[in-house]
Amino acid sequence: MNALPLQGIRIADFGQIIAIPYTAQMLAWLGAEVVLIETEQRLTTRIWPPFAEAEPGVNRSGGFNMVNSSKLSCTLNLRDPEGVELAKQIILVSDVVVENYSSGTMERMGLGYQDVRSLRPDVIYLSLGAFGRTGPMKDLVGFHSVINLFSGLASVTGHKGSHPRIMGGLFPDAFSGCYCVLALLEALYHRANTGEGQHIEVAMTEALATLLPEAIMEYTLDGTEPERVGNHHKEKAPHNVFRCQGEENWVAVSVEDDAQFQAMAHVSGNPGWADDVRFSTPEARLKHQDELEPLIQQWVARLQVEDVVQKLQNAGVPAGPVLDSDQVLSDPHMIERGFVQFPDHSVVGPRPLGAFPWAVDGGQPGVARSAPLFGEHNVKVLQELLQVPDVEFKRLMENGVIA
Amino acid sequence: MLHEGTLSGLKVVELSDQISGQVAGSFCTRLLGDAGADVVKVEYPQGDPHRKSGPYPGGVPDPDWSGLFLYLNSNKRGVSLDIESPGGRAAFLELVAAADFLVLGQNSSEVDRLGLRRDKLSEANPGLIVTTITPFGLTGPNSAYLGDDLIAISAGGMAYATPGIPDSVGNPDLEPPLRSNTNMAGYLAGVQGAMASVAALLSKTIHGTGCEIDLSMQEAVAAVMPFELAHASYHEAKPRKPEIFGVMPNAYLPCQDGYVVVMAVMEAHWRNLMDLADNPDWAELEVFSSGVERARNWDALEPLLLEWTMAHTGAEIAQLAQDRGIPCFPAYTVGQMVDSAHVTERGFMVDMQGPGGQKFKLPGYPVRLERTPWQLFRPAPKLGEHTLEILGEWLGYSAEQLSAAGAR
Repeated sequence: MNALPLQGIRIADFGQIIAIPYTAQMLAWLGAEVVLIETEQRLTTRIWPPFAEAEPGVNRSGGFNMVNSSKLSCTLNLRDPEGVELAKQIILVSDVVVENYSSGTMERMGLGYQDVRSLRPDVIYLSLGAFGRTGPMKDLVGFHSVINLFSGLASVTGHKGSHPRIMGGLFPDAFSGCYCVLALLEALYHRANTGEGQHIEVAMTEALATLLPEAIMEYTLDGTEPERVGNHHKEKAPHNVFRCQGEENWVAVSVEDDAQFQAMAHVSGNPGWADDVRFSTPEARLKHQDELEPLIQQWVARLQVEDVVQKLQNAGVPAGPVLDSDQVLSDPHMIERGFVQFPDHSVVGPRPLGAFPWAVDGGQPGVARSAPLFGEHNVKVLQELLQVPDVEFKRLMENGVIA
Repeated sequence: MLHEGTLSGLKVVELSDQISGQVAGSFCTRLLGDAGADVVKVEYPQGDPHRKSGPYPGGVPDPDWSGLFLYLNSNKRGVSLDIESPGGRAAFLELVAAADFLVLGQNSSEVDRLGLRRDKLSEANPGLIVTTITPFGLTGPNSAYLGDDLIAISAGGMAYATPGIPDSVGNPDLEPPLRSNTNMAGYLAGVQGAMASVAALLSKTIHGTGCEIDLSMQEAVAAVMPFELAHASYHEAKPRKPEIFGVMPNAYLPCQDGYVVVMAVMEAHWRNLMDLADNPDWAELEVFSSGVERARNWDALEPLLLEWTMAHTGAEIAQLAQDRGIPCFPAYTVGQMVDSAHVTERGFMVDMQGPGGQKFKLPGYPVRLERTPWQLFRPAPKLGEHTLEILGEWLGYSAEQLSAAGAR
C-alpha cells in the first residue's frame, strides 16, 4: 500500500461522545497518531451500552470502540492542574488539537486556542460545538436529536401528515465530523504550503442546515414551510419502500423516467401498467402514486427483497434493499469492497465496523486497528513521548493525576 | 478572479450525471471550489438536470435561476460541451489532462462507457486524482446497480434506523423505514468525496502520483452510522427498538404546543430533570435508579414524563432544562431556525437576489477557517458561460479549435 496521507501527523484528541471521536478516528485511519486524552471523572460512551455480550466494562463498549479505533489512550485527571499541564505537554508535540467540550471548557482549563497558540504558533486547532462557539445559543447543550430539531432537518423528515421525525444514525455527529475531517485536511495542506496553522470552528447545526437549500430558499422567498411527504419525491414516482415477504423486509424503488416504468411493468408481469393513462408520464404517476403504490406492494408482497432488487436492476430500474445494521455489516458486496473491517481487540475480540466509504486504487485508503483499552498507552505517551521520568510517573499515578 | 483558499492554484473538472437528485458530484466540487480551487463544471448542451429542479425566485422556471443548481454550483465556472461528439470529447479530455482533479458523479456503467477510469487517463496526466461517486461503487457484486438518494439511504441502513430515538408521538414499529425529504446521501457523499480528494492530494505530496477514488453512496451512508453499527457488532439489539438506546431518557415526546426532545442520560442531568418536575415520588423508585434501569423500564417511565412535558410548551421545557445544562429542545420549523437570533448573529445564511429583485437566502459554509475564511465569490454559472474563457485560458484554444469543439 502507498504511504498513508497523514503519516507523521500527531493529533491531540479531546473529543467527547461521537462527533469529534469520529473525526479523529478517521484521521487515525488515514495514518495520523491520535492521542485520545480521557478523564476518568467524565466517562461517557465507555460506560454506555452496547457492551460486548451485554456485559458492562470500560473496554467493552461498542459505542466507544467503534469511534475510537486506532487511537492511543492517555488517561489524565483534567480537574487536577498537573493533569492539565501534562495535556498541554501533549498538545505541544501535536500538529492538531480537536475538541468538542461545551463552549469555554478548554479555555477554563487553560487549553484554549489562544493559550495553545502562544506556545505553538503553527497549531491547527478545531472546536466543534452543537451551536458553535459564538452567538446567543453557544452555551446550549445538544446531542444529535437537539441538532436535528433546531436545524430544520426534522421538519423535512416524517410521514405524510405526521409530525417531524429524527433521522437515525446519530447522523448530525458523523456528518459534522465529515466536515471537520475535510477542514483539517485542507488546513494541513495549507500549513504544508505556508507554515501557518489556524483555528477552525464548526457548528453542528450549521452543518445540518447545508442539507436544506430548497427549504431555506422557499421559506425566505415567501414564508412557505416544507410539508412532510414520507418517502415521496417531488419529481419521481414511484419513489418509496415496499414490504416484501417476511416481517421487516423492505425494498426501495425509485423510478426516474417512462422507460424505467415500462421496464418495471414488464418484469413485474403487469404489462397493463405501461398502458394505463394514470401512469403514462412522470406527472401522471406523481398525481396517481397513491393508486400505483398498492399495485407495486401487491406485486412484491410475496417475493424476497433480493428477488425484487435483481429483477428491477436487471431491467434497468433503480432499486435496493432496505438494510438494517446487521445486514450492513454482513453485506457481501460491502465486505468484498473492504468497507467492513474486523479490527481485533484484546478484550472483546474482532468486531466488524464500517470503515472508509471509498477505495483508493482498489484498496482501502487506511487500516482500522483496535480501539485502545482505558489508559493503555499512558507509558508510551507520557514516558516515551513526553519523557516523564519513572519516579515522577509513579508519583503522578499515586496522586491520581494519571488514572 | 479566484478566491484565496487552502486549495488555490489547483484545477478541478466535474462531470455529473443527467439524473435529478444526484447531487454528490456537484456538491463535492462545490466544496473544493469553496476552498479556492479553480473548478470547471462541464455540462452537456441540454444542461445539468438541477437547472430544472427549482425552486425559482419568481416561481417561473428558468434554468439560470433554479435554487438547487445555484446552491450546488456557486464558486465554479461552467463549460458546456457535447462530450458525445469527437470534438467535444477531445476538448473534455484535454481539460482533464490539464487538471489536478476529475470528479465524476455518475452511475458506474456511465463511468465505464465514457472511458473515464484512471487507467485510461493517467498516461496523459500521471498526477490526476480521479474521484468517482457512484451508487454502489466501481467494484463488487452490486457495482452495476443503479441508484439514487432513496436507494442509498435504504441500502446504507439509515432508512431502517429512522426514527433515531424512541418516539412517543407515533409508533415506529408500525411504520415503514423513512428517508428525509432532502438529498442527504448526496450531500454526505459530496463531503466525503471532497475529504477523499484532499486526502489523496496529501498522499500525492508524499509520493508524487495521483490515484482513483471509488466512493460508494451506499457506504457513504453506512459510514456515518457508527452507533447503529456498534449495536449490530456488539449486541443483538436491532435499531428501531427502544433497548438500542441503552440509557434513558433520550426520547422525542409531545408537549403542550408541539414536540420536544428530553435527554437526560447522565445522572446529573437526570437529577436536574427530576428537580424541574418537583421531585415526584416515583423519581426515587428502584426501577428508575440508573440510565440502564430507566431504559429497561421505559414503558413505565414514558407516561410519567409525558405528564410533565404535556404541562409545558416546548420553549418552556428548553429554557428550564437548558438553564440546568440538560439537553432538551423543541422541534423548530425551518422559519424558526432561519429567523433565530443565533443564526442571524453568526451570519450563517447567504443573502441572494433573484432576477426580479426577489430576496432569499441559501445556507452558507459550516466551517470557519481563521486564515482562509469562506466566501461566496462567484455565483453559479449560466449554461456555457465560461466555455470560451476556459478553453482559451486552460488550453490556449484558437478560434478554429473552439469551433471544432462545438464550443459556443
